Amino acid sequence: MITQNLVNALVLGSTYALIATGLTMVYGILKILHIAHAAVYTIGAAVGLGVFNATGNFWLALVVAMAVSSGVGVLIYTGVYRRMLDAPRIVPLITSIGLFIMAQDLLQKPYLLGPYIQDFPARSGLPGWRTPWFDLPATGLLIILLAAAFLAFVYLVMTRTRLGLGWRAAAQDREMAAALGVNINRVIALNFLLGSALAGAAGVLVGVYYNQVFATMGDVPSYKAFVIIVLGGMGSLQGTVVASLLLALAETFLIATVGFVLPRDAIAFLLLILVLMFRPEGLFGRR
Amino acid sequence: MRPISRLWVLLIVLSLVLGGLAGCGKKEPATIKIGIFSPTTGFAAADGTSALHAAELAVKFINEAGGINGKKIELIHYDDAAKPDQAVSVAHKLIEQDKVVAAISGSYSGATRAAAAVFQEAGVPMISAYAVHPDITKTGDMIFRVGALADVEGRAGGALVVDKLGAKRVAILTIDNDFGRALTEGFKAYAIPKGVEIVLEEKYPLGETDFRPLLEKIKEANPDVIWATAYYAEAANLVRQAKEAGVTAQIVGQEGYDSPKFIELAGDAAEGVIIVTDLNRDSDREIVQKFLSEYKKAYNLDADMVGASAFDAVQVLAYAIEKGGTDPQKIVEAIAGIENFDQAVTGPILRYTPGREVVRPIGSQIVRDGAFHFFAEFTDPELITPPW
Repeated sequence: MITQNLVNALVLGSTYALIATGLTMVYGILKILHIAHAAVYTIGAAVGLGVFNATGNFWLALVVAMAVSSGVGVLIYTGVYRRMLDAPRIVPLITSIGLFIMAQDLLQKPYLLGPYIQDFPARSGLPGWRTPWFDLPATGLLIILLAAAFLAFVYLVMTRTRLGLGWRAAAQDREMAAALGVNINRVIALNFLLGSALAGAAGVLVGVYYNQVFATMGDVPSYKAFVIIVLGGMGSLQGTVVASLLLALAETFLIATVGFVLPRDAIAFLLLILVLMFRPEGLFGRR
Repeated sequence: MRPISRLWVLLIVLSLVLGGLAGCGKKEPATIKIGIFSPTTGFAAADGTSALHAAELAVKFINEAGGINGKKIELIHYDDAAKPDQAVSVAHKLIEQDKVVAAISGSYSGATRAAAAVFQEAGVPMISAYAVHPDITKTGDMIFRVGALADVEGRAGGALVVDKLGAKRVAILTIDNDFGRALTEGFKAYAIPKGVEIVLEEKYPLGETDFRPLLEKIKEANPDVIWATAYYAEAANLVRQAKEAGVTAQIVGQEGYDSPKFIELAGDAAEGVIIVTDLNRDSDREIVQKFLSEYKKAYNLDADMVGASAFDAVQVLAYAIEKGGTDPQKIVEAIAGIENFDQAVTGPILRYTPGREVVRPIGSQIVRDGAFHFFAEFTDPELITPPW
């Protein structure tokens, strides 16, 4: 039972990591609380579902969803946030919330996702993995592998490429980086592109894992992802991944032992309170 | 301030007075206004939309057949998003603004309870279509229920699990709200005195998507049957994940599962799930088959129990108004005096109790080949008669 719970937590944590990483990337550079990131996640799920329903091909659906999500993400930056970079931080925050609500309401229209939950019975072609200690269904295995691959890719970009260098410079000091020749706009746009692609992938994968896609599926990720990035240290990639896994473990094992004494989402907030009290910079943040 | 000519003042006052007088005529209303509130937005939008559509269908049938004593029914709907505060304000609107003759709740227990108080206070009859909580009818003598009472449904579930399925070890999973708790209480009231062992009892929040940790616990507890209260979204997740996790116990649900969406989202994991519900797809009664086929034609979706209940609420109200006119006291008397009413989709209403609950057979369906089919029916008066 413990090994099964561990494996389940790993899958759950991987979905959290995919969503939260995009968010931490945006926050790291722009210091904007990008709530609309959860809308990108939902749009990814909706687009993936649409493509799958039209073609029956899961991988195509995933790729198109990631492409559209990254486009939406870049649009949000160039069309909205870029104009607010010097405004007080509450301005992009409120705008982001507005975008999120708008996106959800739009997706609930009958010609898009509608008010009902849609099913997403996609198959990736991967096999499940059965061992005497645990049972990992195909979608779970898919999530773990893809999350690992995407996150590794982001890590490599972040640490081994000029783009990554530009990010880290801009995250430390945007004006100085610009003064030193970093093309800030390009760097930020690419940042959004990659982070949003991850969110889109997360939307598709979560949609398939639970076989449910619906317009308000971004509600919980919209705040849980924030809890995760605070836990991990805002702007820290490793911190986000570790915090995602830790949260998934906490949720799973708490429920497995004492049941739902609290709703699962409340556990995230409890952890947040503890972290803010004892280590406010997060696990991997710098003081 | 610029002076307005006295002529203008006269004209304005005159138009206001005339406008006011125009609304004052003691004309007979041309239609019979029936109010309905149901959630068409929010987490319960599927059920609320279903209830609304079915009610509209019932009104359509009645109006096509000539209406009630020659007058057409006008159905006035407001969205309450299944929120008690919104239901209360909508109730006030229906009573004061639209001046409805009676109202139907197509909403959940929490919202219905809140609105019932408003209708009772205003002396306007209200029928709860499918909300199960006991306190709804206890609000007062204007409030009736056309759906199953949680207590009765729970006890019938107990009879299903203990007597029909012969289970000795039961795991209970309760959705943590009015609906779930009331159903489980009814279930336990029947099952425990019969000697059933509750090997595990857990509650979970509405909207929960991941039951895997709980399912691991359930596997350890090794029950014969899992009594799980849920709505279709949670139910679909539960049965899918149960199948994935290798849980072999029989899952028994209730009317919350009764939706084509449950089967669609659960896929083949829905196969074999048994639920307590009053919409018998295999019924040979004409009104049932007419409802099922017309609903599918009109809305391109299979009907569910929620819709059937809302349909029945309209049927009962129409019958009462036809019998007693639009006077609230007469409507109430007519409903209370119903006997062997066969024009209800969810089952022939044998009679109403003094507590304004229906007495009628309680049914059960099983999912076979991707659709709901007849499984069992309970007619034992001791089982089906509400305690008040």
